[in-house]
Amino acid sequence: MTHSRTPAFSRRAMLAGGAALSATALLPLQSAAAQGGFTALATTGMVGDILRHLVGDRGRVEVLLGSGVDPHTYKLTRADIGRLMGADIVVYNGLLLEGKMTDALVRVASSGRPVLAVTEDLGDDYLLSPKEFEGQYDPHVWMDVGGWIRATAKALERLTAFRPADADAFAANAAAYTATLRDLDAYARRVLGSVEPQRRVLVTAHDAFGYFGRAYGFEVLGIQGISTESETGLRRIQELVDTLVTRNIPAVFVETTVSDRNVRALVEGSAARGHRVAIGGALFSDAMGAPGSYEGTYVGMIDHNVTTIARALGGAVPARGMAGRLAAL
Amino acid sequence: MTLLDFLQLDLPAGLTAVLASSLCAMLGNFLVLRRQALVGDAISHAVLPGIVVGFVLAGSRDTVTVMLGATAAAALAAVLIEAVRRLGRVEAAASMGVVFTVMFAGGVVLIEQAAAHAVDLDADCVLYGQLEDVLWLAPTGLASLLDPAALAELPRELVTLAAMNLAVGLLIALFWKELRITSFDPALASAIGIPAGLFHYGLVLLLALAAVASFEAVGSILVVAMLACPAAAARMLTDRYGRQFALSLAIGTGSGLLGYTLAGPLLLLLGMDWSLNAAGMIAVVAGAVLVLAVLFGPHHGVLAKRRARRMAGAV
Amino acid sequence: MLADLLAALSFQAGYNTRIVLIGAVLLGTAAGLVGTFTLLRGRALVSDALGHATLPGVVLAFIAGSALGLSSRNLPLLLAGAAASGALAVWLVHLLSHHTRLTEDTAIAAVLGSSFGLGVVLLSVAQRLPTGGQAGLGTFILGQTAGMTEGEVWTMAGLAALAILASVALFKEFRLICFDPDFARGIGWPVQRLDLLLLALVVVVTVAGLQTVGLVLVVAFLVIPPVAARFWSDRLDRILLLAGLFGGVSGAVGAALSAALPGLPTGAVIVLVAGTLFLLSLLFAPRRGVVATLLRQGSMGFRLAVVKALSDRRRGPAAPVSGTVALWLRARGLTTRDGALTPRGEAAAERADRNLALWERLTRTDPNAIPDTALWGIDDATRVLPQATLARLREGTAR
Repeated sequence: MTHSRTPAFSRRAMLAGGAALSATALLPLQSAAAQGGFTALATTGMVGDILRHLVGDRGRVEVLLGSGVDPHTYKLTRADIGRLMGADIVVYNGLLLEGKMTDALVRVASSGRPVLAVTEDLGDDYLLSPKEFEGQYDPHVWMDVGGWIRATAKALERLTAFRPADADAFAANAAAYTATLRDLDAYARRVLGSVEPQRRVLVTAHDAFGYFGRAYGFEVLGIQGISTESETGLRRIQELVDTLVTRNIPAVFVETTVSDRNVRALVEGSAARGHRVAIGGALFSDAMGAPGSYEGTYVGMIDHNVTTIARALGGAVPARGMAGRLAAL
Repeated sequence: MTLLDFLQLDLPAGLTAVLASSLCAMLGNFLVLRRQALVGDAISHAVLPGIVVGFVLAGSRDTVTVMLGATAAAALAAVLIEAVRRLGRVEAAASMGVVFTVMFAGGVVLIEQAAAHAVDLDADCVLYGQLEDVLWLAPTGLASLLDPAALAELPRELVTLAAMNLAVGLLIALFWKELRITSFDPALASAIGIPAGLFHYGLVLLLALAAVASFEAVGSILVVAMLACPAAAARMLTDRYGRQFALSLAIGTGSGLLGYTLAGPLLLLLGMDWSLNAAGMIAVVAGAVLVLAVLFGPHHGVLAKRRARRMAGAV
Repeated sequence: MLADLLAALSFQAGYNTRIVLIGAVLLGTAAGLVGTFTLLRGRALVSDALGHATLPGVVLAFIAGSALGLSSRNLPLLLAGAAASGALAVWLVHLLSHHTRLTEDTAIAAVLGSSFGLGVVLLSVAQRLPTGGQAGLGTFILGQTAGMTEGEVWTMAGLAALAILASVALFKEFRLICFDPDFARGIGWPVQRLDLLLLALVVVVTVAGLQTVGLVLVVAFLVIPPVAARFWSDRLDRILLLAGLFGGVSGAVGAALSAALPGLPTGAVIVLVAGTLFLLSLLFAPRRGVVATLLRQGSMGFRLAVVKALSDRRRGPAAPVSGTVALWLRARGLTTRDGALTPRGEAAAERADRNLALWERLTRTDPNAIPDTALWGIDDATRVLPQATLARLREGTAR
């Protein structure tokens, strides 16, 4: 049995796309479709950010998961399923980021509603997977702004196919959003590039920064793996302490979604060997900041991460980030 | 909420809740009598190494291989728990504690040794299903309930659980007397020539199968609660084996239905735009029923016993 | 590798290894002691229920913290919530098993299932809050062994001191409620209060352990060393000593292994080391171990077969016996080549027959009077049975 590169369900969704019309006829009345617009539903906050910018005033965008919620373990409730069924188009991250929720997405797709993963066009040339398990891709694509620009292009393509009438509006919106993302990418390259090359090591609580590291030239060392059952060993802790000390790395980072204990153990271990390591700040990995705040948007989330990392590792960084909008430290 | 919503979402999910509840409640009776009520939780932890091995062998998080691995691990756990209990002559709970922690730890070590830590691999992500995700999108109206084409598309979870219910129900009916005697009095069973050991192993193996099938359909929370609460509540209400069985079945299916309704459909009917986790709610309802049974049970209930003591004191 | 292992065990493998090793030994010892009492009290898995039951408390604390505008990940607040709901769950288990006919394991399973369900329901509430920070809430308070810090080692030391103190100070009381709770109640001891005290100890160990080593290792530490120790002795003081020792050794060896070899998660390896100690105990413990039991059963079965063969032969035409039994009878000069009894055999057979009859009568009339230590049908009943019992039996014979 061969395992397809793109998850099987997205292929099915594409094949089923033509049947969408019959399904949309059954939508409940409160859907925006009745008012001339349409409802697009995103699973995660990061995907929702793309949709909000692309759809603009042409439809309604709903996001299933609050910006601080972890998509790996989120459990859909009955109301979520209702929203899923009521949406005219469903957009998700893919690469199994949504865990078992993907099953429900498959089912919705099989009913003929357009369901797409923003990562579905990213191939082996882009995606990271452990060498022991080819094809089991790391889903944290949004950590690389370049990857997220490609995800935006994918979303644009499918939205356009879904509502050709609004193609121009989508294209204009996408151009503006992409321009913002390019600025963000350039900012990230600039401030992260100001970190001394030998200090470009990102030590974090878990392995969510693979794409980030590749895009911006950082060596990424996660204490624990992606799997929630992954547990670290003492050998790993000692090796990380060694790295911190011998390469004179000034800071390590905690994550908003993972306990900071393991990171604190590194700080203590380094201190015992006479090397002071600071906790450089809390990074957003699987979820964004509080809704309504700047960090609760994709741009704000990345701006925060990039600025925090660069500052803690000794780079030259504007006080409040790319756009002066970060919460003061 | 429309009729179509009901047919497509609430009917399949509600039915699945009822079927998973009845399956667990039936088996729970024997577990409670044999002091093995915790085996659901033990198996939910013990499947991890099976999931990892299934993943490593297949190189993917494909449901079928993960299920096979999990089933094998669950069966192994069931047999080991029973073997340790017998060979070591330790109580069932202690045997479970040893077996499930060791198996789970083995799974965690396997994840790191197989370098699978870079893959999102855990029971929640690859095995445990969600009641709410059980959708039946084929129906277009009430007529679909009788339409063979639509019925052919009934969700897999629903069909699996129905089949499991049938199989377990049949086995229990066939071995009704033997199960009763081996549960209540294993020594007597051996004395009159019923192979009590065979029944113990058979029961735990059946349980392992049912547990993994239910995990895949509705997740572990519902299973762990439903293996214990309905049977325990029934035990507070009656001394008779047959009645105990019937009551636990009624309590199980009732809790399933009520819990699902409270968590989702009711809130939406009341005009809310949010709902709660159904499996969790079912577990809570089953717990609440147990509390009621403990308080108000006719002979063994706390209030009844207190009353009896007062009367005895008055006389 | 061996050198690495020895370096780790002798505290020369770096700061983190040293810290974790000490912490794991202390926690293993504390849990081994406390776990022994809970095991013997029939509540081995109460810590498992407690661990699961922390979820509703954590989520409620999160919701409350959000409502009060506190930082959504206020760890002390979450831990307070966890401890409160965990303790409540344990208290419920206690009530259910004390005041109803439900057995301990059923009470534990019911409380575990419903409270975890409640936690999941609350989680679905918390996920809708507009505060952010919900991700990873379910596992946030769970620690990993390798990440232990110095402050936590002091906590573990405190736990170990508390457990040792309680085991010594309340040894007599705990022994009685473990081995003979009815008697304890009969002589007016506050069994319920002692039970609650024991459960309080479990709560303290479990909650402290959850945030330093995670759920599975805590449960394993509380269950495996005591179960393993139980194989080696029937005396509480020895079981306690061994359980503490097994817990400590598992902690030390597991931590050292995980420091010496790559890809070995510390907590999980400690569980596996404890599991190995358990397996060795299960197989090789004298008297209760599987091997010893098999040997004893084998030899008992053989001796009983000999006795029965002798007695059968005396009564009439010889029933067929297994080759080894026949060989043994001949080798001892009790039978001739063709299987008939020799004069010495006659005497032995008569003794065996009389003895067997006594045992059989005892089994029929007064099975409870059979001493645990006696070998049924093999030991001379007139020697191992109390005089009073013998007299009753003989009286029966006379009548």
